[in-house]
Amino acid sequence: MNVEAVIVSACVGAAFGWLVRRWIAAARRRRDGSCAGGCGCADKVGKGR
Amino acid sequence: MSPEPEPLVALVGNPNTGKSTLFNALTGLRQRVGNYPGVTVARKSGQCDLGPAGRVELVDLPGLYSLAAASPDEQVVVDALTGRISGDRRPDAVLLVVDATNLLRNLFLASQVAELGVPMAVVLNQADVAREQGLRIDVGLLSRRLGGVPVVLASAWKGEGVSEVRRAIAQALADRRLAVRATWPAPVAAALDEVTAALRSDLGVEPTAAEAQRTLFDAAGSTAVRFGWTGPRRDLVLRSARDKVRRGGYNPFAAEPLAHYAHLRVLLEGVVEEGGAARSASAAVDRLLLHRLLGPVLFAAIMLGLFASVFWLAKFPMGWIQDGVDLLRGYIAPKFAATPMLQSLVADGVISGVGAFLSFLPQILILFLFVGILEDSGYMARAAFIMDRLFSWCGLSGKSFVPLLSGFACAIPGLLSTRTIEDPKARLATAFAVPFMSCSARFPVYALMCSAFIGPVYGSGWESAAMVGMHCVGLLFAVPVAFILTRFVLRVRPQPFVLELPRYQLPKPRDVLWRMWQNAAEFVSKAGTVIFAITVIVWALSYFPRDPAVADRARTAEPSLTGEALERRVQAAYVEQSWMGRFGKAVQPVFDPCGFDWKITVGVLASFPAREVIVSTLGVTYSLGEGAEADSGQLRTAMQSARWQEGPRAGSPIFSLAAVLALMVFFALCSQCGATVATLAQETGGWKWAFASFATMTVLAWLAATGVYQAVIRFAPPA
Repeated sequence: MNVEAVIVSACVGAAFGWLVRRWIAAARRRRDGSCAGGCGCADKVGKGR
Repeated sequence: MSPEPEPLVALVGNPNTGKSTLFNALTGLRQRVGNYPGVTVARKSGQCDLGPAGRVELVDLPGLYSLAAASPDEQVVVDALTGRISGDRRPDAVLLVVDATNLLRNLFLASQVAELGVPMAVVLNQADVAREQGLRIDVGLLSRRLGGVPVVLASAWKGEGVSEVRRAIAQALADRRLAVRATWPAPVAAALDEVTAALRSDLGVEPTAAEAQRTLFDAAGSTAVRFGWTGPRRDLVLRSARDKVRRGGYNPFAAEPLAHYAHLRVLLEGVVEEGGAARSASAAVDRLLLHRLLGPVLFAAIMLGLFASVFWLAKFPMGWIQDGVDLLRGYIAPKFAATPMLQSLVADGVISGVGAFLSFLPQILILFLFVGILEDSGYMARAAFIMDRLFSWCGLSGKSFVPLLSGFACAIPGLLSTRTIEDPKARLATAFAVPFMSCSARFPVYALMCSAFIGPVYGSGWESAAMVGMHCVGLLFAVPVAFILTRFVLRVRPQPFVLELPRYQLPKPRDVLWRMWQNAAEFVSKAGTVIFAITVIVWALSYFPRDPAVADRARTAEPSLTGEALERRVQAAYVEQSWMGRFGKAVQPVFDPCGFDWKITVGVLASFPAREVIVSTLGVTYSLGEGAEADSGQLRTAMQSARWQEGPRAGSPIFSLAAVLALMVFFALCSQCGATVATLAQETGGWKWAFASFATMTVLAWLAATGVYQAVIRFAPPA
C-alpha cells in the first residue's frame, strides 16, 4: 500500500471514528437526561446546571 | 474541610417579567431570553457578586403564575423552592421579579411565596415601561406593607437598577425578613390545621404552612404524592378538610386566590398612582396586527418580506463565499496533482462538500437577525395569537405556541419547551407536531433549490414565495396530524389559550446580535465537525472502488468522445460504479415516483442523521461525477446541467420544477434528524412515540413528494 492510500485511509477512518464517538457521547448524555442534540440548545434550555 | 457553600438565591416570577434578562445582568451569563413567555423551561444557575456582601449562587427558574404546579416546569420551581430537588439545597432567599406595570396580578405569586417562610427581596422590573405608562410606585410604602422586605425598581433590559438589586439581595440575606402573609378566613384556617395535624401524625414530619396549603388547595394532589402521603386515609382527611371550607361558604379550590387577592388589595392601597398615560399606542398597533382578517394577511406579508430580504441581502456575500471556495479549490488542487486520490479527497470531497454547506452562512445570519428582531419586538407572541385559531381547531393547547415557534429554529429546544404544557396528552400531541416545523437545518436545502432553480427561472418573487410556502408545508401537515391525534387517538380535552401578550419594545441590538452570532457559530462549527466528517465518508463511498476496467469500459463505449468530455464520462462512470452509486441505484426505484435520481436518493439517505447533510453530499457526488467540467466547483451549476442518462426521461433535466418542488416538500416533512428522534423518545418516556413520529413523517414526506412530482409533471406547463 502506498503512502497516499495510507493517508486517505487514515482520514476516512478518523472521520468515521469521530462520528461514532460523537454518537456514543450523545447516547450517554441522553441516558443522563440531558439534551442529546448537537445544536447547543442545552445552553439555552438546560435541565440542570 | 469543604468550604461553606455560597448562599443560594432563587429567581422567581411570572412568565415574561424579565427574570432571565435580570439573571444575565446579575451573573454575567448568557441565558436565553425572549420577548414571549415560557423561554426558560428548567433551572439554570450562576454566581452573582454582591460586592462587600460576598457572592451568592443565583438560580433562574421557569416563570409561573402560581405555586399550584400543574406542568413539569412549574413543578421544577415548587421543588426548587421547597428544597425537594435531589442534591439541591433549599434557597436561603427568594428574589421575586415582578412586572411593575401589573403589581396586583404579579404579587399573587409573592403572596404565595411568602407562605414558604423564606427571606425575600422584590424587584419591580420593567420600571421604564411603568414610567412611560405614567405609573408612580411608592416603593418605600410597598416595602413597609410587605413587612420590611427590600423592594427595588429596576429595568433589567436597560441595565437600570441592577446594583440596587444586588444590594437588595444582600439586605434580604442579612436581615432575613419574611414578607407579611395573607390572613385565612376561619374555616380555611381550620381546614389547614386539620391537614397539618394529619401530615404530622401520618408522616412524622412538621410541614411548613406552604406545604399544608399546597396539599389542601391543589386539586391534582401532586404535593401530597411528593410527600409520599397516599392511600385512603389521605383522601379521607382532604375530603373532610375541603368539606369544612365548603361549609364555611368558600370553594376549597378558589379560597386561596380569594384570600391572597383580598390581602393584596389592602397591601397595594396607595402604593400605585395611575398617571393617566394610556397604553393606546400599543393597543392601536394590536388592533391592526391582531385583526381577524388583516392580522393573518399582515403576518403572511411580514414572512414574505423576511424571506425576500434574506435572499436579496445574502446574494452578494454568498457569491463571495462561493468565489472564495472556487479560488481555494483552484489553488489547492494543483498542489496535489501528483497524488490524484488525495487531490480528489481534498478538492472534490472536503472543499466542495464543506464549501457548498458554508455558502449558506450569510442566509442563516440574516434569517436569525430578522427572527431575533421579530422576537424581541414582541411580534412573535402576536403571531401566536393569530396562529391560535389554527391550533385550537386542531385541538392543540395555546401553550403549544412556544414549542412550535422554537421548532422553527431547532426541534430540540421546541421539544424541551413542551414541558410547559400541563396536560400530558396535549404535551404529547405538541411534541409530535414540533418536528413538522421547518427548522433552520431545512433552510440550506430550500435555499439551494430556490436559488438554483426557482429564482433564475421564475424570478425572485416566486423564490421568496416558494420559501414561505415550504415553511408553511410542515405547519399545514402538522395541523391535520395533530387533529387526528388529539381527537381520535389521545382524546385531548380542549385547552384555554393562556399566552400573555408582551409589550412592544425596540429590539436590543446586543441580544439580537448575540443570538445571530450563536447561530452562526453553531452553523460554522457544524461545517467544521459533523459535515466535515460526513463529507469525508461520503467522498470515500463515492470514490471507491476504483477499478481501472471501469474507465476502459467508458472509453470503449464512447469512442467519439475526446479530451474533457471523455474525462467527464470516465469520472461519471467511476461514481456510478462506486459503493455509493451502487447503493443509490439499488434504492432509487423507491424514490423514482418522487422524481429523484440515484444521486438525489443518495443525498436523501445520507441526510437521515441530519438533513443539511444533503447539501454537502450533493456537493461531493456532483463534484466527483462532473470531473473536469467542475472547474467552477459550484454545486448549483453542476446541478443545473445534470440530465437523466437513461430511461424514459433520458436527456431531460434531473432538477425539473417538479423534482425540485418534490425534493423540498420531502425535506419539509421527512423526519431526518437523529437528535430530534432521540429527544422525542427522551421527552415522551420511550421509543414508541419517537418511532411513530419518524414513521408518520417519512411516509407523509414520500406521499407528498410523489403527489407534488406527479401533479406538476402532468398539469404544470414547463417553464
